[in-house]
Amino acid sequence: MTTKQYQVVKITFVVFLAVIFSQLMYGKNYLLPIGVMIAGSLALMLIRRRVSGVIADERDYATGGKAALLAIQIYGWLAACSMFIFYGLKDTNPAYEPIGMTLAFSTCLLMLIYSAIFRYYNRIKLMDGKLIYTVLVLVFFLVMAVFSIRLFSGEDNWVCQNGQWVKHGQPNFPAPQTECK
Amino acid sequence: MANRIKEFRNKLNLTQDDLAKLAGVRRETIVFLEQDKYNPSLKLAHDVAKALGSSIPEIFNLE
Repeated sequence: MTTKQYQVVKITFVVFLAVIFSQLMYGKNYLLPIGVMIAGSLALMLIRRRVSGVIADERDYATGGKAALLAIQIYGWLAACSMFIFYGLKDTNPAYEPIGMTLAFSTCLLMLIYSAIFRYYNRIKLMDGKLIYTVLVLVFFLVMAVFSIRLFSGEDNWVCQNGQWVKHGQPNFPAPQTECK
Repeated sequence: MANRIKEFRNKLNLTQDDLAKLAGVRRETIVFLEQDKYNPSLKLAHDVAKALGSSIPEIFNLE
């Protein structure tokens, strides 16, 4: 397969996946899209292996690196500014606060991932492979533990009691719109 | 950084696509190199020079 054929197949594949993905989401199926995404990525990887020519070279990676850095900086500034605006307007509409917090945390996460990858290429790549693997596994479990504690602790949430949504702790989002049974 | 890629390529009757395949890069990269709009890595400079049957100092003028 030539690189041009690969580009055509890739675009067709992505459009096809997007249609399936959106239809599944529209049908309120939220698990299957993850499977579709994983299957799609694997299929694209397999197709990529069949390409005889060069898909990307050092200039593409250099350009990609510059573009990624600029995109992160632009997103960081936009998200930070929007976060302050949304957070400032939280008294007018309580729904603005979670939007602002989501923007703030997503920016922090993006910066953390960028820093980790930068550090990997800058220093850790010189380290022993087993040590990197151990550190990555530890960091993964640490993040999962913090996330699980926060998610399943049941604090700061809305609880259904006697047919009414009652505050439990200090939830920073409005009560669910769904019926409380 | 001026270079003589086009001159050497024409001598060998190679197209940009041929040279790209020999050097293991995309054709667009050869275009950028010939127009002095991209500074190649040492490995790419070596691969291009080798593909043109020459050496880095002959192809690339670092001054």
